[in-house]
This record gives sequence, C-alpha cells and structure tokens, in this order.
Amino acid sequence: MDPSIADTAKVQIRLSTREDGLEVPDDSRLLFAPTSLRRVDLSRLVNNLLHNDTPIPFEFLVNGQFLRTSIDEFLTQNGISAETTLNVEYTRAFIPSLHVSTFEHDDWVSAVDILSTSSPAGHWTGNYPQENTRILSASYDGLLRVWDTAGNVLATSSAPHNGGRITSLKSAKWLSDKKIAAAGMDGVVRVYSYDDSTRTLGDATLELYNHNWQVDNIAVHGPSHRILAASADTTISLFSSRAKENPAAPESLLPRSTAASNKRQKLSKPAHSAPARGALATLRSHTAPVSAVLFAPNDPTVAYSASLDHSLKTWDLPTSSVVETRATSHALLSMAALPTLNLVATGTSARHISLIDPRASATHIAVMTLRGHANAVVSLDTHPRSEYGLVSGSHDGTVRVWDVRSVRTATEGQGQVGESVFVIEREGVEKMRSHGEGVKVFDVRWEEETGIVSAGEDKKVQINRH
Amino acid sequence: NIDPESLLPKLPSPEELKPFPTTCAAIFRGQEGRVRSVSIDPRGLFVASGGDDGYVRVWELLTGRQLWNAKLSDEDAVDAVRWRPNKDSAILAAAAGENIYLVVPFAILSPDVEQSSRDVLDAGWGYAASKPSTSTNGIAAKEPPARWSRPGPRLEGKGVLVQATVRSAVKVIHWHRRGDYFATVSPRGQSSAVAIHTLSKHLTQLPFRRLKGLAQSAQFHPSKPIFFVATKNSIRSYDLAKQELVKILQPGAKWISSFDVHPGGDNLIVGTYDKRLLWHDLDLSTKPYKTLRYHQQAIRAVAFHQGGMPLFADASDDGSLQIFHGKVVGDLMENATIVPLKVLKGHQVKSRLGVMDVVWHPREPWCVSAGADGTCRLWC
Ligand SMILES: [Mg+2]
Repeated sequence: MDPSIADTAKVQIRLSTREDGLEVPDDSRLLFAPTSLRRVDLSRLVNNLLHNDTPIPFEFLVNGQFLRTSIDEFLTQNGISAETTLNVEYTRAFIPSLHVSTFEHDDWVSAVDILSTSSPAGHWTGNYPQENTRILSASYDGLLRVWDTAGNVLATSSAPHNGGRITSLKSAKWLSDKKIAAAGMDGVVRVYSYDDSTRTLGDATLELYNHNWQVDNIAVHGPSHRILAASADTTISLFSSRAKENPAAPESLLPRSTAASNKRQKLSKPAHSAPARGALATLRSHTAPVSAVLFAPNDPTVAYSASLDHSLKTWDLPTSSVVETRATSHALLSMAALPTLNLVATGTSARHISLIDPRASATHIAVMTLRGHANAVVSLDTHPRSEYGLVSGSHDGTVRVWDVRSVRTATEGQGQVGESVFVIEREGVEKMRSHGEGVKVFDVRWEEETGIVSAGEDKKVQINRH
Repeated sequence: NIDPESLLPKLPSPEELKPFPTTCAAIFRGQEGRVRSVSIDPRGLFVASGGDDGYVRVWELLTGRQLWNAKLSDEDAVDAVRWRPNKDSAILAAAAGENIYLVVPFAILSPDVEQSSRDVLDAGWGYAASKPSTSTNGIAAKEPPARWSRPGPRLEGKGVLVQATVRSAVKVIHWHRRGDYFATVSPRGQSSAVAIHTLSKHLTQLPFRRLKGLAQSAQFHPSKPIFFVATKNSIRSYDLAKQELVKILQPGAKWISSFDVHPGGDNLIVGTYDKRLLWHDLDLSTKPYKTLRYHQQAIRAVAFHQGGMPLFADASDDGSLQIFHGKVVGDLMENATIVPLKVLKGHQVKSRLGVMDVVWHPREPWCVSAGADGTCRLWC
C-alpha cells in the first residue's frame, strides 16, 4: 500500500465512555480520525477534548476489543470497511505496573491483605491515615507478619502451640486496624491483636474451633465482628471475633482432647492459652472442600462460597441456609464479587475465570469466561475503583489484570470470552512455565494507593505500582 | 469403490471427550532417587509417595508442598504406599522390604481425625495378644505369616504406629473398599506371595498355598467378594466366599507388570513389561478385547479413574503417561469405547526407568505420576 494514502486515510469514529465525569462534549463525539492512529494517539486526542492538564491514560474498546494496533491494522484484521462508523469506547487504562518492590520471607507466602484508607478494614476503622498503610502476610512457616510499605517488618506473630501439628497458614485478613484473623492447615481460626504504636502482634487472643480438616480461606466483616471460614471438611463456619459471643468449643477438636495430642501439647512450650470457642453456625451443603468464602459486599447477612464440588452457593447467614446453588463444570478455587454488575468471579482448576450471575432470576449462569492463565486460578480481587477490573493470581506464576469489557469472541452458547489486559510476572524470573514450579502465586490484592500486592511460592510479597 | 475405513464406526475426537488431564500443574520435588509409588487420599487433598530413599512422604496436592515425612528404612526402598479408602480417618499403608507400616500422620490431622485413626489401628492389639496368628489350613504355623508389632519410639513419634513383617519384600498394597482388609504381594514369597491382612485383628492370612508363576499384583473386586491375582502371564479371579477359582484371563503377555479393575467390576486393564496395554472384558472372553501398543518401553502401572469419569492411564519407562477415554456401557451387546486422548511428557528417563506409578484423583480428571527422576507430577 502506498504509505502516503495510508497516512491520509480517515475513518469516522463515535466516542463514548462509561466513566462518570469523563464524557467528551456532545459536539465532539463524532469525528474523523486518521486510520494511522494508535492507542496513545487516541488517548492524547481524548485528553485534548477534555482539556485535561494532567492527561489520563485511556484504553480504547472497538467492538469490544482493546485496540492494540493502528486503526488501519484493526480494520484489516477484522475485515471492517473504512466506510463504516466505528463505535469507540474509552476507559481509564489499567496501566501496566512497572515499579516493583519485594518483601522477603523465610518460607512460601500464602496470603496477603492491606490496611489503608481505602481498604475494607480502613473503611471500618474510619479515617485510617494513608501514611500508616500496612501489609499483612501469612506464611507456610505458620507466622503472620505486618509490614510497612517500604518493606520493613513491624511485627511478627508467635507460632501457635497446637500439639505438634502443622501450623502453615492459608488465609489472613485485617478485621480492623487492631485485629487480625488468620487460619490454615490445622483448621483453627485465630484472632490476633495488633498494636501499631508498640508494634506487637504476639500470641493469638482467641482460638476458634469447628473444623476437622484444614481451613483454606476466611472472610471478615469488621462492623459485625463476623468471620467466615471455608474448610476442606466441606463446611463453612460463622464465628464472632468477640470470644463471648461464640459458644464453647467442641471438646474433640481441642489439642488436649486426645491422649497422644495432650502429651505432645505438654512437651511443647505450654504457658499462655487463648480462650477457645466454637462456631455460631455451621453451613453444610457442599460435598467437597470449600475453597473460598465472601460476605456479599452490599449485605453482610449474605455470603457466597466456592467449592471443589464445582458449585458456587449463596447463603442466608441469619438462617444458615442455602439460597441458591450454581453448578459449573470445574473445581472452583477462588472468588471475588463484582456487585454493580451482579456478578461473582470464580477461578477454576481448569485455568480460567468464570463470571457467574448468582441470582435465581438469572437466565445465563456463566456470563463470561476469562482465558489466559496456564494453571489453576487460586486468587481473585477487584479493581479498587472500576467495577470492570479484576486481578487474578495463578499457580502458573503470574498475576493477570482483566477488564470484563474486553471481549474477544462470543461463541454460540458459550457466553463471552475475555483476555487479560496485562500480565505481571514474578520479579527476577526469566521464564515462567505453566506448572509454575518455585513461583506459584497464592494470593493477590489490589488497592488504590498501594497497587497490586501478590504473594507466592518464591517466598516473596511483590508490589507492583503505577 | 467403498473405502472399508468408512464403514467402521467413527470414534469421537478427543475434543469431544473433555475433561481429561493435559498439563503438568505441580511438581513434587525433594526425594532422593526414584519415586516408586504414589497415592491420593480419599478426600483428594494429599499425595503420599514412597521411593528409593526409604522415606514415606505426604504432600499438598495442588501446590506440591511437602507436609510430612518419615524414614521407614535405611536399606530398603519404599515400594508401595496406599491410603486407606475411609474418609473419617486418615491411615496410610506403606511397605519397605518385608515390613508393612500403618501410619497416622497426625501432624497434618485435627485431634478428632487423629483419634479416630488411632482407634482403628489400636483395635487389633488385644486380638493379636489373645489369639496367635494361624494360617488358613487351621494348623498353628511354626512361623506366622506375619508378625504384628509396634515399630518403636522413633517411628511411633512420627505417627508410624503399626508394623507387620511378612516373609518376603512387599511390592504391592491394595485396600479392600471398606478399609477392613488389605492385600499385599511379595513376588518372591512363593507360598506366601499373596497375603490378606485383617486390620481390626492384626491378622494375616495366606489364601493361596500354591500359585502357578511369579505373583505380580493382586486386588479386590470393587463390589463382589472376588479377588484377582496376576502372575507373569495370567490373571486369576477367585471367589473368596466359596474359596474357588472363577476365571483365568490370558492377556497373551510375556510379563504382566500391573492391572486395574474398572469400578463397574466387569472390565480390566493390564500393563506389561513387553510394552502393551490390554483391555479385558470379563463377559466376553479370557483373551483381551483390545490390545494397545503406544509405548516405546515397558508399561509399569495402569489405573482406572474410580470416581465416575470414563478415563484410564498408563505409565511407561519411555518417560510418558498415556491418557485414554474408556467408556463402559451397561448393555451386554455393546462393547467399551476406547479412545487415546493425550500423551503426558515431563518425567526424565533415568537409567532406562521412566514413570513408575500413576493414580487418579477421587473426583477430578486429574492424575499424579511417580518418576524415576525423583519427582512426582500432578496433571490437570
Ligand atoms: Mg485462595
């Protein structure tokens, strides 16, 4: 093709956005653009139309696909005539995270959580100062650590005395700026008190017993002091973080309950003992290990759970009953809620993420499938600002960012398929293999100021910021 | 001109037969020397492995994390590990040399699961004390088929609670579905090559005084009181209640390495050192219904999915595993559909040995393999 022709070729585009306050004036929505333009050029154009002093980086969705080439190449690839008017939707770009800092641990890091102004625990605490942002990590070594954003360890918990059992942790959450809940392979949920002024974490202040196999995931709701625990024993527990609200602990689960265990308990350092309590309720309905649990973001009396029995369930907590069961075709390993879209995202062992409408009225169960990971998707979190953004952590050793507006194909009967917007690899690793040996990602959180925080088999917490 | 191929019933394509394992999802590393045997616990959470370094180990299935181990022997390899099938307890059987160990890995169990598991193992001590072991012919044997004992403080401190010593090195362990009995095979054991052990009584019996040929493997029928024993060239099924021979299968193999029974009970797969995989339909004939030659080297292990998926797998010294679709139809007039689905590669061949064992997950289309390269691998 004669380059002079390509340079001057133009196509009519119609600009639109779903971002509040970023609409271009009505009279500049329809315009002729050179087909040689790429994303950066279009982004500059929209910023000019908005008279932005500090430009906002934008992404452009053309027919549901992110523009990754020039408009000309896009038209050619998709067999679209330059005569048609292109509908171009612009969105704030989820900028690839460049800056990386890593916090070194002694062992695999299974979970992370963030305490900041805009994090759930920061909200519940109220006016939590941004400069005091804290990162909580849980490790296979059985310890919780609290870090500042510069990577200094401020406090470390003591290992629990559980009668010679494994202490590896699987999940940890901030209940408030002073309380942490954590659980793992010994099946006990523990509540810790954290004092930021003295930087002390220490021993658990409450031990919650209800599970006879490991607890893989917990969820917390600070204002009501509630903790949900998802266990491999196929049940979910509802606990209170206030000792007195819970009933007595089941005797058979206490470390001193068996002769052999009691003997070992005495041999290990005894001393301090936290109050032991049982559960307010046990949610039974799953038939295989429960891998993830969530309070519904808009209603803490509703919970969602995901299980290796392939189902996603909605629970009414006051009555401990199942409201809805959504059956899928794969073992479910992780979950995040997208409340404004009425969707729940769930990560599978089959390497994809399913977006599921949990409501009974929904006609389509799996609304969309996000493909790109090469191994199990074991952690999910939502974009701190956009209802369309998701982040996932996988055993393939990568973290992927998704925009659910980005749709590759719409195959008949299969719903829509989306691709990740970008990929974050583990720092210092040359080549990721699908089995992710040595670099599996176990948990990921996304917070406004801190960025994307992920934890994994490389014994590191990795932070990617803009 | 009619192409004869076009008259044959068309097999479904692998794409239509999903799900089946296609990729390596985790590598279990940390063993010295060959891994000989793997087993997935009945809940599908843990992998147990045993190998040349004399250790029995337990790993987290999805991550490959090593959670627990115990050294069972300084001289002998751990040749067989098998979880007891019951879900309310967690008991692992492992064999090193002539010793079979029963293990409660309490470090990864809650106190109540530890207690119920200990109770199962402890029940037999009183019986053993009150009644010495006898062979089936009723005559008090000079040497009992097995001595049941406590393995000593070092191992007991790790949860290795019971030791049964037989006369010859054990290569195969197979549990009865209810977990009351387990069978062991000691190929060099002659008249004591196949033993059936009663857990609740710490009792060992030798049901076959004379076996024609070298015993290779043995297992219980999934639902009937029938017991299968493979020797080098044939597989015999016995009625345990009537104490009589039911059938002799002739796979036409030079040397059988392993076999597995379909959960429906009427079909059987056989792996051979002469590189063949054979499918036997017990209703059809004593000869194989299908012979599959896909491997360059010996087949060491074969396994049916036991949780309702129409899948089976084999493991070979060429370093690969092969995954097959194997659909058994209830209709007597219709034969099983067998379709090769996927070759799984990743294990390295070491000293001409490749993949030593393969087992399926109890529910999912996932399998775990054991390699001579010192690793186990999860395939999803
Ligand atoms: Mg998780």
